Amino acid sequence: MLKKTLYSLLFSTVALMALETGDTLPQNIQEQLKLDSDKVYVIDFFASWCKSCKKELPLIANLYNNKVSEVVGINVDKNKEDGEKLVNKLSLPFPIVYDTDKALVETFNPLGFPAVYYVKNGQILNVIFGAVEEIDKKITEDIKAIK
Amino acid sequence: MIKVLLLALSVSLFMGCSLVKEVKPWEKETLAKPIMQFGGLHPEVTKFESHVYFSKEASRGGSGVAGGGCGCN
Repeated sequence: MLKKTLYSLLFSTVALMALETGDTLPQNIQEQLKLDSDKVYVIDFFASWCKSCKKELPLIANLYNNKVSEVVGINVDKNKEDGEKLVNKLSLPFPIVYDTDKALVETFNPLGFPAVYYVKNGQILNVIFGAVEEIDKKITEDIKAIK
Repeated sequence: MIKVLLLALSVSLFMGCSLVKEVKPWEKETLAKPIMQFGGLHPEVTKFESHVYFSKEASRGGSGVAGGGCGCN
């Protein structure tokens, strides 16, 4: 009985842990996001109700169009339609994953929104939480430093 | 009997504390709605109230925060 309780406590703690710089993404997430090795990916969590996300997304789309970086967007709206509406409105060119069951965002467990993760070879190299003025310049500088 | 009742009461109270759940950044959809801002959807109401407050108290400020509560700085 005690052993069972301790195990359940341990697993509940593991579930609360966040992915941080230096951590490796679980294999199933790498496959779900279709991440190739040796490429630097910008993984951007966003939602249609997040004003800062809406401000940053066009700038990140420009980076993707100018081939500065590979980008994968993860939409966390409860209703997929809300996310699709925003994606269509902003004509986002990069691949979007709709995380309606919150499995991805709960694994990453970011501290704030928007959340940007740099990933290479399945490993998180850096993270940015919250709104950043001129995110495109920041990402360009970071990508240069990583390469 | 009283001891048992007290124990049951305290256990239920502590269990109530454990049920308080942190709102995660991706769960702030409702908090980010414009209606959740101070003054609600109509900024003129806030303006009117602050005018009344200033007239009565001869002081102003310290009555607002930035953002709508979505947690994006």
